[in-house]
Amino acid sequence: MERIETDILILGSGGAGLFAALHAKDARPDLSVTIATKGLLGKCGCTRMVQGGYNVALNPGDSIERHFMDTIVGGKWLPHQGMAWTLCETAVERIHELENEVGCFFDRNPDGSMHGKAFAGQTFDRTVHKGDLTGIEIIGRLLEQVWARDVAKLEEHRAIGLIPAADGGGISGVLFIDIRTGAFRFVAAKAVLMATGGGPTMYRYHTPSGDKSMDGLAMALRAGLTLRDMEMVQFHPTGLLAGPDTRMTGTVLEEGLRGAGGYLLNGEGERFMASQEEKAERATRDIVSRSIYREMQEGRTTPNGGVHIAMSHLGADDVRVRFKGMVERCADCGFDLAGGLVEVVPTAHYLMGGLVCETDTSTAMPGLYVAGEDAGGAHGSNRLGGNGVANSTVFGGIAGDVMADYAAGRSAPAEPDETVLADEMARAQAPFTQPADDLHALRDELQDVMWDGVGVIRTPDGMQQATSQLDDLAGKLNQTGLADMDLRFNLTWHDWLNVQSLIETSQVITRTALQRKDSRGAHFREDFPDAGVPEESRFTTAQLDSGELVISDEPVEFSHVRPGETLLKDDIAAAE
Amino acid sequence: MTTTHKVSIWRGGAEGDYAHYDVPARESQTVLDVVTYVQRHLDPTLTYRFACRVGMCGSCAMTVNGVPRWTCRTHVSKVTGGGELKIGPLANMPVIKDLACDMTEFFEKWQKAQSRFIPTKTRKNPMEPIKPDTPARVAANAGIECINCGVCYAACDTVRWNADYLGPAALNRAWTLANDERDGGWADRLKAVSDHGGCHSCRSHQSCEAHCPNQLNPAASIAGLKRLSTSAYLKGELK
Repeated sequence: MERIETDILILGSGGAGLFAALHAKDARPDLSVTIATKGLLGKCGCTRMVQGGYNVALNPGDSIERHFMDTIVGGKWLPHQGMAWTLCETAVERIHELENEVGCFFDRNPDGSMHGKAFAGQTFDRTVHKGDLTGIEIIGRLLEQVWARDVAKLEEHRAIGLIPAADGGGISGVLFIDIRTGAFRFVAAKAVLMATGGGPTMYRYHTPSGDKSMDGLAMALRAGLTLRDMEMVQFHPTGLLAGPDTRMTGTVLEEGLRGAGGYLLNGEGERFMASQEEKAERATRDIVSRSIYREMQEGRTTPNGGVHIAMSHLGADDVRVRFKGMVERCADCGFDLAGGLVEVVPTAHYLMGGLVCETDTSTAMPGLYVAGEDAGGAHGSNRLGGNGVANSTVFGGIAGDVMADYAAGRSAPAEPDETVLADEMARAQAPFTQPADDLHALRDELQDVMWDGVGVIRTPDGMQQATSQLDDLAGKLNQTGLADMDLRFNLTWHDWLNVQSLIETSQVITRTALQRKDSRGAHFREDFPDAGVPEESRFTTAQLDSGELVISDEPVEFSHVRPGETLLKDDIAAAE
Repeated sequence: MTTTHKVSIWRGGAEGDYAHYDVPARESQTVLDVVTYVQRHLDPTLTYRFACRVGMCGSCAMTVNGVPRWTCRTHVSKVTGGGELKIGPLANMPVIKDLACDMTEFFEKWQKAQSRFIPTKTRKNPMEPIKPDTPARVAANAGIECINCGVCYAACDTVRWNADYLGPAALNRAWTLANDERDGGWADRLKAVSDHGGCHSCRSHQSCEAHCPNQLNPAASIAGLKRLSTSAYLKGELK
């Protein structure tokens, strides 16, 4: 096994990873910075896929306090308030950095000022964007800046283990598989950022990039670190449903279609939302997702088992102009969004939960930092659209600054714990010691178990059953081998490792969902449909201890604002 | 409708051959789905690259029946014409294995063209007010939504003949920067794109425009650079 060394190691090349690299290098040009990523730099992961935009309080009529209150209320009082405040406050500086230093090209108002669009769940139109391809613009420009700097790149490198120091004093580095050669490579580092970007792809229908498989959180679990809010999986109500055996299924059809007046029709052609909800199709993501899920449970479905979205009553030609990108994507895939009916289904979109950390991105393991979707806390039980990319860029930049300081104060990376290193290598090679079997059937089974048992609407029986099914699947995976084969660029080996990460994190999602005995934000239990008392809010935690998952919960600290109170001066004045 | 597709896929690196597979036809099926089916059910060692599945990451481009395309958004029915499907790696890039290419040179040329924003302000300054309907802003906007998929680069005859040619994507980005009033790097960039292998190497075959999946027009951007470059030369600003 090859061993290399760097001062700062960054896992992931989305908004968090690229920003961390820029900040670390700019803060301390003398330090070596290495970015390792599962795909090509900036081309995998989900920041790139951001359609909506970037929430930031720029307008004089808006305020950081207002953005913060929207985040807290949207997260149903579960967010880590220090993180949420840092997110809203630092977003202002970060957007100036993106515009003035990175060179992003954001849409303008006719007077030349930054355009902010309306986004669900917010009391101000503060979502800065580039058309509906904001992520491409942000990542495209960040990439150019990172390429121009002296940052080492390990592309198509899959992280498989966080390796603690032999003396137990923190992290020593990360073990990788070089995907192209199939060889193991240990990268020793003084400081490591985990920014692999969550990604709940263990559901039958999911939106994230296909390379994502919760590897970061699975590694953190195996390293004994504590995760929080893991039951909080956000479902987007309108994923494309194109049938089996196609990667198109699950991909997002944008929120704006419903906002503009699109209808949702069940298999009997009925507008079911209109009879259930005052806002009909314009209700929030969680409500619409649950309504669709109920139609599916009742069997009132379209041929592939979902519902239809219809836009033609708004005028097919107008729809073609207004939703050009969506209409073209559907047309490429064989569907007529403007004039016909397109099948849709709720789809797993974002994981609010993640690794427990401080507002400066540090974790319980000295030298290990976390940012982006891998970090838990900022969004509580529900993420506002537009807070995802703000979160990853804000905390990625902070991590870069903090890691530069930390690494500058240390002479060399710690010596690795060789036992853990050997164990992680053995784990990754395990499938080659078993007889070959059908891995893909196993993944399909996992996605069915999570969709049926721990999906949009949860029941105690369903979750209990999922717990034991997941244990069975973990056992089956360990007996599912791969044919002795060429290890170079072997996607099937990586599929096996993906499924393992997904099973490990699915067990956490299921057990924390059982732990939470109320319904908040993204988490809905049929047996506890009420939200509970906000003042008594608790967040769930999960940790692996000697191979056993330990699930618990802790009270939310209302460090900035208490339920029933507000930081908005106008509202305070009005109340007085 | 046929019940199976006759598919041949490139296996190997620079040296290799096409292997043949029968893949069940589906009503909703992209070229990426066909490749995925082969890897999952017929040959687990098949290598290809993809990420986002929705035409945003530019990872899954391949040569499909002789034409470079994004495979996640290419429905099989659009390319087979009822016949066979022949899938290979992109042209003009070294093959790593099977359908995955090495894009290093493509991105290095982007740097060589100086196609990155050079700031004139910092995060401490207010943002520049820029009216959306100014000619420069409109020109920059027309070329900005590039996903660096490499399709134009693979389609370009000049890239094939001239190893130094920077290629359509890198030059298209240079043109968007030429129209970005916030940028401070134009003098160096003008030299880079006017030099050997720069915009004047383009023979205007317009394959880039014909194949760009996002309907960008790099050929027009390159024509814009040629005008700027020639005018700078005539004014004595370029040697």
